[in-house]
Amino acid sequence: MSERPSDSWRTARRQLTAVFRKEVRQTIRDRRVMVLLIVAPLVQTVMFGFAVDFDVDRVPTVLVDLDRSDESRLHARRVLADRTLRHAGDLPGVPEADLALDDGRAAAALVFPPGLARDLAAGRPAEVQLLLDGSDPNRAMVASGAASRYFGEVGERLIRERLEAAGRPAPAQVVLAPRVLYNPRLKTAPYVVPGIAGTLLVIVTTLVTAMGLSREREMGTMEQVLVTPIRPLWLLIGKLLPFLVIGIFDVLLLVAVGSWVFEVPLRGSLLVGATGVLLYLFSTLGVGLLISTLSQNQQQAFLGGFIFMMPAILLSGVMTPIRGMPGWLQVITWFNPVRHFAEVMRGVLMRGAGFGDLWFQLGFLVLLGVGVMALAAARFRTQLG
Amino acid sequence: MTRHPLARSLLRIGAMAAKETIHVRRDPRTLALALVMPVVMLFLFGYGVTTDLDRIPLLFADQDQSEASRALARAFDGSREFEVVGRPAPEGVEPLLRRGYAVAALVVPRGYQQDLLLGREAQVQLILDGADPLVGNQVLAKADAIARVESWRLAGATFAGVQPPLQVKSWTRYNPEGRSALYMVPGLSAFLLAITAVMLTALAIAGEWERGSMEQLFASPVGRLEIVLGKLLPYLVLGLLELLLVVAFGALVFDVPIRGSLPLIMLFGLVFLAGMLGQGLFISVVAKNQLVATQAGALSAMLPAIILSGMIFPIENMPLPLQAFSRLIPSRYLVHGLRGILLKGNGLSVLWPDLLAMALFAVAILGLATARFKRRVA
Repeated sequence: MSERPSDSWRTARRQLTAVFRKEVRQTIRDRRVMVLLIVAPLVQTVMFGFAVDFDVDRVPTVLVDLDRSDESRLHARRVLADRTLRHAGDLPGVPEADLALDDGRAAAALVFPPGLARDLAAGRPAEVQLLLDGSDPNRAMVASGAASRYFGEVGERLIRERLEAAGRPAPAQVVLAPRVLYNPRLKTAPYVVPGIAGTLLVIVTTLVTAMGLSREREMGTMEQVLVTPIRPLWLLIGKLLPFLVIGIFDVLLLVAVGSWVFEVPLRGSLLVGATGVLLYLFSTLGVGLLISTLSQNQQQAFLGGFIFMMPAILLSGVMTPIRGMPGWLQVITWFNPVRHFAEVMRGVLMRGAGFGDLWFQLGFLVLLGVGVMALAAARFRTQLG
Repeated sequence: MTRHPLARSLLRIGAMAAKETIHVRRDPRTLALALVMPVVMLFLFGYGVTTDLDRIPLLFADQDQSEASRALARAFDGSREFEVVGRPAPEGVEPLLRRGYAVAALVVPRGYQQDLLLGREAQVQLILDGADPLVGNQVLAKADAIARVESWRLAGATFAGVQPPLQVKSWTRYNPEGRSALYMVPGLSAFLLAITAVMLTALAIAGEWERGSMEQLFASPVGRLEIVLGKLLPYLVLGLLELLLVVAFGALVFDVPIRGSLPLIMLFGLVFLAGMLGQGLFISVVAKNQLVATQAGALSAMLPAIILSGMIFPIENMPLPLQAFSRLIPSRYLVHGLRGILLKGNGLSVLWPDLLAMALFAVAILGLATARFKRRVA
């Protein structure tokens, strides 16, 4: 080529704007697509922000009071007082309680055995029974924790009283004074909202890119564009750019809604957050592109996107903690951009983390983005060349 | 030919189903994905998901440096719940928490041992990263339990011979070891069924509109309703296969019990799938193209099936309007039903409301979809 560098730069820019403008028009023309790309993520973030609550409480509990004493009634009332266990009725006996667990009316049953008050008064050890529905292990753990905490405290108090009555000195005690940083009331929404945003971004970037490009291939319009003097690279960038813009717009929207509706704080620097968002979108768009080069039609592109999306969402630490996974699976999650995005956003928004704190996550996003994008672009070019 | 009209109609539906089956079979990638993906997901999730943590990384900032404070560190480190990963100075705690190096820190003040020796309350500060509330709540509960045990141990001499006067004893039914897989497998199968059924039908039918081949089908003597039924049938079979595969895999690999009846599971699957296929059909009729259909399908089937179905997050904990809304999500009933059948051995006498709700949804959405379908064709 005898073009001077400035000329070739100008052509490139012209080509890029042309493709960009065409893509934007095409996307805007279909109103439904715009609704799905912008309104749907918004509605879903709000809805799921309210729906997801890790703080298990109000576990439906039935009482079986076989003692019918003032003592048993007192403990029944007090153990239900902190609202972790919710009173779901009184039953006359253990078989009825079993039935209630069977049909799901209750998830726990507290049984006060006959003679409880008498045993306590006589100084004999007494035992309260708790039947649990273990099908949800987390809920079972919370319920048994609440009951044993309450009865543990009662037991300790009784011992102290007895020691005092016997004139012996009370024993020393270790007391924990908790101080919760970043999220003092341990609310779930600030934790989950960044993760849900990341999830929705996969849908609106990866899936849309993969299917949009496969559609062009399916219809043969990609080949038509290639006959024009446009360079494949500019074509590619021009096609991805509108989705990058939509993605950034969605993030801004979701962060705004998160802080407004769910009081998600914004403690860190926006620069760090923006870096995370850009790197993340770069990698999700890259995955979309890669999938489109691997599939022949939209249905395959969708399934490919889906295969990526499912583990990416479920193993992102948004739904269940990554620390609870076995080691090999934790290593796999390093290659999950959703995980890193969620961690960067949480770090920036809640903890006020900076580049120094998030180098691991940001580094992996760079690695993933560049790797996937390079692979995808190479495949895209060979397919078109 | 003087065959009964119903028989002829069935024949035409069969022909449509055969055509659609060929479509599915010719695309082995789709088929493989539809059948292999659930197993992979189940595998990852069955192993991957526990909400119960152990070896939570803990910082131990010891200002007392005494025998008693070292004993406290041992009590935390020796329990499988925590692992002491660092012993910074108190001012070094927060940067390490911010970086996510540890989740919590214990700060033992000067004079800790002294207080204990004098029989006073010895306060220890527990600083905790609350960003993840699930982890945060566990840290609070577990640290509290360890501190209590430590108190008992310290009081050992005084308490010698004293039995705790009142105790609670727990019996856990259905899943005594508290294994997360037992909880996840039924939920996950509902989720996977919802996705494949809604998405595959929505895409298959939207694809016909997009390519214009739907109009060609209308030109054939096959009735509108017969086209719909014929097209949905292969996906119904595929969905049931998937359900069997997931249940079998769960039983073999994760020892998920099948305490109830297998035919009842299939009945639940069938009614649920009818609703999901209806939803897919409805989406495809409204969307007309595959891109819109996927987005609509992902947003209307996938996320509600994860978040509002009770698969991971208990429904009782949601705000009331959302609890009411979750009643419109069929996955909710399938998750509840499958858990009941598999883990508790429930029968129809307990689970009929779930079945009824799914049937209502199926009738409503299929009616709505065919009405839209007919109007669009007319």
